[in-house]
Amino acid sequence: MKDIFTDFYNTILGFFRQTEKKEENAKDVACNRLRVVLMQDRTNLTPELLQRMRQELIELLSKYVEMDKEALELNFEQEGNQMALMLSIPVLRAKEESEIEEAEEKEFLEDETDEKTLSEEKSDEEIEDETADCDEASEEENSEENSSEEDESVEVDAEDKEKAEK
Amino acid sequence: MPLCIEPVQSQSKEIKGETMSGRVIVITSGKGGVGKTTTNANIGTALARAGKKVVMIDTDLGLRNLDLLLGLENRIVYTIVDVVEERCKLKQALVKDKKNPNLCLLAAAQTRDKTAVTEEQLKNICEELKKDFDFILVDCPAGIEQGFQNAVAGASEAIVVTTPEMSAVRDADRIIGLLEAREEIKSYKLLLNRVRPNLIKSNDMMSVDDVVEILSADLIGIIPEDTGIITSTNKGEPIVNDEKSLAGQAYNNVARRIIGEDVPFLNLEEDNSVLGKVKKFFSGLMGKEK
Repeated sequence: MKDIFTDFYNTILGFFRQTEKKEENAKDVACNRLRVVLMQDRTNLTPELLQRMRQELIELLSKYVEMDKEALELNFEQEGNQMALMLSIPVLRAKEESEIEEAEEKEFLEDETDEKTLSEEKSDEEIEDETADCDEASEEENSEENSSEEDESVEVDAEDKEKAEK
Repeated sequence: MPLCIEPVQSQSKEIKGETMSGRVIVITSGKGGVGKTTTNANIGTALARAGKKVVMIDTDLGLRNLDLLLGLENRIVYTIVDVVEERCKLKQALVKDKKNPNLCLLAAAQTRDKTAVTEEQLKNICEELKKDFDFILVDCPAGIEQGFQNAVAGASEAIVVTTPEMSAVRDADRIIGLLEAREEIKSYKLLLNRVRPNLIKSNDMMSVDDVVEILSADLIGIIPEDTGIITSTNKGEPIVNDEKSLAGQAYNNVARRIIGEDVPFLNLEEDNSVLGKVKKFFSGLMGKEK
């Protein structure tokens, strides 16, 4: 007897819910669009500038960590009255100290040598890098579980941006 | 909910011979058509009904409408431009409301543009009116140009009117930025107009919380969409005079909050339609069973 009643309630409730259902939630779309637009309004930062900033940050950070460049996120977030620039970096692994030093040396050399020799050096390095990448890839395959654990996203509160109008 | 706009001391009772120091509140929005003038007329009327001495200044030169909403269009002799250009005294230009002697209007000139009055002149008028009134409500024109700058000049508080629509919220954000840049504006509050609970419930409209969060501003009122606004405008009688109207009640509550009372917000979420009640009944039963 009780089952019949629950069935009955379910069909009626289902009917009402059906009428309520909408394909897309217009409210959330509005909220999200507004947030993006307001951030641009408040900061006067164009999408192109944001892209440039992103690129330069990748260059800088890849000296210290190996990361998933595609998944890197750079967004504005609102915290009360203040705007914060949130950088989320999926880290694959931190680089060894020797690697960092190597990169620094490379930079140092790049500064000293003229452009011609620099391009020659680069081509040599690229070949080396490729072989190194292959080794790493096979290693990563072996330890997939480990790498997923290492894949932590580091949130960097890079810069507090006050409202543009302030 | 903290008390919106600070209450004024020593103003509740008028002592003869003593000069008042009224509060100048500008009502602004950026976007047009969100209900600035309606808000002005209703808050002004509600404050006057609460026994305060109120004067409203229409600064929308060339596009005046506040007189229509109050039903005073036939009584205007002098306008704010006549005062500025010294064709009359300030007191002569104040038009008394039909019903409430506490309420006055300083009308805008219909034949002039925004350059006819300067910021300095408006400031002086506000200073002058402060001596005789508890509240000076300045009706601001749409936009962020000279008209806005003029209207804000004499004010120390602001009410930003917006609706839960993207364009209105975006413009409100811009206005808030401009208000924050002005030192003389000590506080500003948000008034959310034309709220439609049914649309919010079905997730088709931004909720009050959404708008407040996006703009991160304090709320002073939530006004539901009400067809009564149209009829009240047609009759030239603010909706706060209609005690049964939900929008009227909401405006009355805003006025009480301005005075300093702690008034809870109206519950608009309640679905009072027959279908809504049936739904509630069934979902209640379901909740018990689970």
